[in-house]
Amino acid sequence: MIRKAVPGVLYHLTAVLLSVVTLLPFFWMLSTSFKDYGAIMALPIQWIPRNPTLKNFSDLFSKEGLTVSIFNSLVVSISSVVVTIISSSMAAFAFAKLDFRGKNAVFLFYLATMMIPSQVLFIPLYLLMGELKLVDSLGALVLPSVFKVFAVFMLRQRMMTIPSVYLEAPAIDGAGVFTVFVRIICPMCKSSLATLAIICFMDAWNDYLLPLVMLTTKTKFTLPIILSSLNGQYKSEYNLLMAGALVSMLPILVVYAFAQKYFAAGLQVGGVKG
Amino acid sequence: MYKKQGIKAFLFLLPSLAGLVLFNLIPIFVSLMLSFTDWSGMSRVRLFHGFFQFVGDKFVGVSNYSQLVKDSEFWAVLRHNAYFILLYLPLVLLFSLLVALIIQQKSRIAPVYRMLYYIPVLTSWVAGALIWKWMLSPEYGPINNVLASLGIKGPLWLQSEVWAMPSIVLASVWKDMGFYGMILLSGLLAINPEYYEAADIDGAGYFHKFKCITLPLLSPILFYVIMLSLINAFQLFPQIMVMTKNGDAGPNGATMVMVERIYKYAFKFGRMGYAAAWSWVLFVIIFAFTALQNVLQRKWVYYDT
Amino acid sequence: MMMKVTKRCIWWVSAMVCASVLLSGCNSNTAEKPASGENVTIRLDQFSGNGESEEALKKMIAKFNEQHPDVTVELQSFGYDDYFTQLQSKVVGGSAADVFELNFENFVAYASEDVLLDVGGLMGDSSGFNQTALKAFQYKGKQLGIPNSFSNVVLIYNKDLFDKAGAAYPTDDWTWAEMLEAAKKVRALSQDTYGLYRPISFHEFYKGVKQNGGNLLSEDGKKFTVNLPQNVETLKIMSGWVKDSNIMPSDAQMGGMGDWDLFKSGRLGMIITGIWAFGDFADNCNFAWDVAMEPGNTTKATHFFSNAYVVNKETANPEAAAALAAFLSGSKEAAQIRVDSSWELPPVTYSDVLDFYLKVTPPENREAVFKSLDYLVTPPVVKQQSEMQEIITKHLNNAISGNVSAKDALDACQAELEQKINLE
Repeated sequence: MIRKAVPGVLYHLTAVLLSVVTLLPFFWMLSTSFKDYGAIMALPIQWIPRNPTLKNFSDLFSKEGLTVSIFNSLVVSISSVVVTIISSSMAAFAFAKLDFRGKNAVFLFYLATMMIPSQVLFIPLYLLMGELKLVDSLGALVLPSVFKVFAVFMLRQRMMTIPSVYLEAPAIDGAGVFTVFVRIICPMCKSSLATLAIICFMDAWNDYLLPLVMLTTKTKFTLPIILSSLNGQYKSEYNLLMAGALVSMLPILVVYAFAQKYFAAGLQVGGVKG
Repeated sequence: MYKKQGIKAFLFLLPSLAGLVLFNLIPIFVSLMLSFTDWSGMSRVRLFHGFFQFVGDKFVGVSNYSQLVKDSEFWAVLRHNAYFILLYLPLVLLFSLLVALIIQQKSRIAPVYRMLYYIPVLTSWVAGALIWKWMLSPEYGPINNVLASLGIKGPLWLQSEVWAMPSIVLASVWKDMGFYGMILLSGLLAINPEYYEAADIDGAGYFHKFKCITLPLLSPILFYVIMLSLINAFQLFPQIMVMTKNGDAGPNGATMVMVERIYKYAFKFGRMGYAAAWSWVLFVIIFAFTALQNVLQRKWVYYDT
Repeated sequence: MMMKVTKRCIWWVSAMVCASVLLSGCNSNTAEKPASGENVTIRLDQFSGNGESEEALKKMIAKFNEQHPDVTVELQSFGYDDYFTQLQSKVVGGSAADVFELNFENFVAYASEDVLLDVGGLMGDSSGFNQTALKAFQYKGKQLGIPNSFSNVVLIYNKDLFDKAGAAYPTDDWTWAEMLEAAKKVRALSQDTYGLYRPISFHEFYKGVKQNGGNLLSEDGKKFTVNLPQNVETLKIMSGWVKDSNIMPSDAQMGGMGDWDLFKSGRLGMIITGIWAFGDFADNCNFAWDVAMEPGNTTKATHFFSNAYVVNKETANPEAAAALAAFLSGSKEAAQIRVDSSWELPPVTYSDVLDFYLKVTPPENREAVFKSLDYLVTPPVVKQQSEMQEIITKHLNNAISGNVSAKDALDACQAELEQKINLE
């Protein structure tokens, strides 16, 4: 119904322009990754490689640790999503829909921790993980995601928009808080949960500094570390670097292409029922 | 409705509280202690064995803090952070709202857009920053070549003191608009369509509906997005680390920002105590901003309860 | 009702705890205890051996194992950029390798933190070492590191471009004036051919200042003297190469290309760089090139770069660790492998090994590498080395790429250094 009111041309023009802006860097990455070194420094620039080559990719995969790092990244990312979703939705529910003393104070406290630059917590966190015997294990990357303020905050904001009637009616029927949480609140927040899942996945997937500090064995490295070490070794060989960037994106694009369907469904359901 | 929810609430909060204490409060406390020391960050330290002894040995009082405020570098860094936020925040809000509005349309092509706009978010910052560094190459990058074909001589981007920060903003908006757009979208979809139907019956135009229905009902999520993007903007770092020359702080330190300094002092310059002091100052600044936002939100955020 | 809720919550929490425990199942390897007479494992972390040179390093380790069959060496190689961040967290957490590598800049920082073992009594006969290199890794009278490589900086030039431009080849008695003249001729060849590249870095500036009779620090190392007139003159000349004669490309003209790439592409007449470029240039240059001693202005000076293996003070096997470090650095076998693979110079004085180094071509004029050793200058190493380097580099760039005069840039640099760097 809104669509009728928007001039169709304007809508499509904006959408297409924004798409071009979004995709141009990827097109350039793709194009560069099939060029040889001479071609990337050729002027005028070649939008489409004149002599496409696969050498960059074979060079890349001959580097040790690349394949393992993709697997490690997947394990860390998926586990982080599960841990974050469960713990954060529970906490968000308590903040949004339960009454307890000191609620606002605790919530403000949560928010305050979000403002601490995580970089300086790395060494203390590292010391702590050392005491817990978790250094150099993927668990050291997953466990901290049990406490994700932004996830709690986002879900709380979403849950607060759920009118209290949804809680009151089952309560009159005698349903417990937990039942209400699992059966009513969570399904209503599906869209937010789906969004959150993808966000958490990305966060873990892209995390660079924490794994850099926590992991010390090469076979446990995650993908961004490998990619960054390529950047260190092949400073201006953008053909190789772009091939690396492309490879680092591919698994995630595949996951997203599949998740997209459920993600979209989640958004629709949440939208209609919310 | 439910009475005496204290215990239940505690149980619901338990996992996240455990994480809060273990992975945040303890490290925060430790870093606060460290900010009063001159520890280099290059020697062996044990948390549960003689940590306080260690802090006592290295204790220097507030000298890290007093050195910091006296350092002209600190004020330059603050200016750079503010400059980034001034450029970045309006742009990223505008573009993410555009993204959300485009995807929200019930056209057949909207799902395709949704997918496209999210790709930069899927890209890791390491990869994204490498791509933009290459895009912005003054000689061999596509942007300046396109500009040249239009008869415009492109700037030196990352190598120019004036353009280095806008380059970072450009890459950041590109990377983040899909992310915030998707959060805004979940807010848009949560708006009860009946409001729009009622407005249609009243014959309201698109922009009128946007102003009177969409914006107010979107305001809780919008507030969240502003908070999140502001906090993230204060903590910008990986793009700077990868994009500026050799991880230095850009031409004449033009892209020297808070977290970049914290990282350098902690991991490159062997001054962990000083880095901890920097991060506490950063914390206070962000805290002040967020508190201000929280006060202001009462004036414009609307909860549909 | 309440009970039920409680139970369920507990179930959720325990499920999460289980998941976490499972996830962390692949736990860290705890330190291995030594058992005398039996196999010991020595972990070696390093950054300087990558690709082909890593293969060379593996060969050296194999040689070491012929003599020490009871020592298992676990080698881990890292990229330079991430190496030091990781090293730091490992040292703090007590999980640093038994033997690890440090560059000259980071050596003092770690040495002063008392995390390195004094290997003076453990490394055996050290007479085969180049003494300059060996002394560089002493701290307060203790031998805390064993130099594993040794390199200096020379002038590498593209013979074909020189021929085309009709310029005479560099000789050992060249000064900056002759270098500039030749560079101008090469620059005149075409729009995107350049005469010279000399990185704008702390090291190059330090050396440049020395070549012009200046210094960045007072004799006793207690005061900065960055804005001496000789230093200002040096910077003026250097920025003139970019700004006035443009024999050297600016950052913009480089367009993100590396200096070695520019040379390999055949568009650069001369490059001032380390001898570790020889292997790469030999493989990837399709033109004739050679080397010469680096020209100075009023006097000659050349750089000395070195990395060292150090032994972790907390290692369980100090003897085996020191033996490994000493073998990889100074043994004749290892030195021979290092030379064979064109991987920098071994820090040794065995003449037959070094003679062999001279025979590998290109470049023809390898003599220049050894002649340069007579003019070694060692950059000052202060505890806040990296921080100092960043400050100096920033101000150099302001003068060379920005609009700040050489004098103003160095005055500002001096002020900032005095404020921030503690020379003790």
